[in-house]
Amino acid sequence: MPKIPRSALSLQTRLMVTVAVVLGTFLALTAWVLERTFAATVLSGAEQQMRQVVYGLLGAAQDQGGTLRFSDELGDPRLSMPDSGLYAHVEAADGDAVWRSPSLLVTGIDAPPGRRPRPGSDSFEEVAGTASPAGLFRYAYTVVWEAAEDAELTFWVWADQAPFRADIARFRRDLGLGLVGATLLLVVAQMAGLRWGLRPVRRMTGRIGALQAGERGDIGLDYPRELSGLAGTLNRFVERERDNRERYRRAMGDLAHSLKTPITVLSNASVTLAPEEQRLFAEQLERMENTVAHQLSRATALRPVVPRETVEVGPLVERLRSTLDKAYADKGVTVATSGTAHVRGDERDLLEMLGNLLENAYKYCRSGVRVAVRDGASACVVVEDDGPGVPVEARGRVLERGARADSAHAGQGIGLAVVVELAAAYEGRLEISDSDLGGARVTLEIPRA
Amino acid sequence: MRVLLVEDEMLLRAQIDRFLRDADFVVDRASDGEEGLYYGNEYDYDVAVIDIGLPKLGGLDVIARLRAAGRDFPILILTARGDWQDKVTGLETGADDYLTKPFHMEELLARLNALIRRTRGHASPVISAGALVLDTGQKSVRVGGAAVELTAFEYRVLEYLAMNGPRVVSKTELTEHLYEQDFDRNSNVIEVFVGRLRRKLDPDGASQPIRTVRGQGYRFAPEG
Repeated sequence: MPKIPRSALSLQTRLMVTVAVVLGTFLALTAWVLERTFAATVLSGAEQQMRQVVYGLLGAAQDQGGTLRFSDELGDPRLSMPDSGLYAHVEAADGDAVWRSPSLLVTGIDAPPGRRPRPGSDSFEEVAGTASPAGLFRYAYTVVWEAAEDAELTFWVWADQAPFRADIARFRRDLGLGLVGATLLLVVAQMAGLRWGLRPVRRMTGRIGALQAGERGDIGLDYPRELSGLAGTLNRFVERERDNRERYRRAMGDLAHSLKTPITVLSNASVTLAPEEQRLFAEQLERMENTVAHQLSRATALRPVVPRETVEVGPLVERLRSTLDKAYADKGVTVATSGTAHVRGDERDLLEMLGNLLENAYKYCRSGVRVAVRDGASACVVVEDDGPGVPVEARGRVLERGARADSAHAGQGIGLAVVVELAAAYEGRLEISDSDLGGARVTLEIPRA
Repeated sequence: MRVLLVEDEMLLRAQIDRFLRDADFVVDRASDGEEGLYYGNEYDYDVAVIDIGLPKLGGLDVIARLRAAGRDFPILILTARGDWQDKVTGLETGADDYLTKPFHMEELLARLNALIRRTRGHASPVISAGALVLDTGQKSVRVGGAAVELTAFEYRVLEYLAMNGPRVVSKTELTEHLYEQDFDRNSNVIEVFVGRLRRKLDPDGASQPIRTVRGQGYRFAPEG
């Protein structure tokens, strides 16, 4: 059987990779958009807050004879506290400071000067400054103060960025945690879903394995709609293959029967002929016989695609042994058997291979036969006898596959030819060497699967 | 020796029949499984030849039913397919030997003789008792080294008694195994043949190889 290439990615991996890519992209985009939106909201919140500070200052301003005075209620208590993070200062058009908030008394801002906005309008920007390592927001607003001869006054307000940055950082962390959690949850759910979704496929794969191992007769029909058609077809295919095999075998058996009986009749009738004709008859009939036997064995030498069973070799050897012990009772053969092995295939095929090997041993031995069976990557059967053995120069010819049947030695030739054909069908190996018993040592190896 | 032959191919059946008769067998022929089973149950045989592929009732079924009915004569199966499954199942069902078609008649005869010998407990084709040496392979008889000329029927009587010795064999059993079915069983021809055999094997009445057991039959026992 050809090996299935394993390089292809599994269905589960394909689906998981797809989901991971889609999910990852979607979540990353979501995170980016949310973070940007939140940061924008925080900035505009800061601007709004500082505008309120200016309005509060405007409300607290009192004109006292051309000079500006602020009541103690400044609207925002932070303006009264040194280093509070909120600072303000009011500037006349000529740049002279009209008022500085008490929070500015200890530290200065030391920020690069900004452009004064036109009267009635404001500006908002981020600046660096010594007051805060996180940077500052600067808000400016210019008004025309009517009471002081239409003097232009600019209100500058600075706010420490740190609390806002902290808000954004906290949001980012929460968002990250939330998204990672959601991702994990989705991945787990996706995996569970995939397992559940692919379970029928796994069930089918498992049953096909059991079918090939000969542990099941079919793969069942309990599959979802998408697979039930395939399962039905497969079951019918398996059934058909077995039927065909059986029918083919029976047809070959009938053919053998209808050919061999006439050959028997003819060969027995020929004994009344003249010696010359008798020899001609015998030769030609033997050729026919060998060809029929050989071609029939070749025609049926097929390993089943889906074996019905796993065959244990040891018991087969014992059955053949008691058969041959009966048939060769007069010869008084001493037989030693040992071991067993398992082969996936057809019991008939194994009986055929072992039967021919064992019968040859019984036929050609003087008195001793040894059969050893070993299990491993392949099932290995070694049949030895104490007969004359097979000459080295004849071994290759005997083992040649498809050797012309009519040139084979009657008896040994046909029997071994059958074994050679069947062994080839099972991707096995047949080898002839010398036994320490003195005769032939035939080794048959058949891969387990 | 009486043999049951169950073979559906008419020509082959006729050939085997003729060959076995020439070899001094008494042959009952059946052309299908049912007929074969009937004969097997009805008569006692020394050996049976049964083809596996029979019409009406398969050869394996015939063997199984004969064995179930306690018939224990040896059975040789003929198989055309030469399939090991057939051979193994056949012998497991109760057959004693197999022969794959095509076969030579000599081979069949040798197998049948071996089977009969084996069933009677004789490992070798030569049965010797005292001065008497009976070679069932050569179908020859010697007494004290000298060949004894026997007619075919005389030989059959001696062979049957020798094969079954030291058991007592009744006259009816002898007739059944040595004659065709339509033989007149009341005839005293057996006594005549046994008398002639005794004179040829033991002219002076010293060893008495065939004893008469009064009211029961004959016993092959040269020494006792």
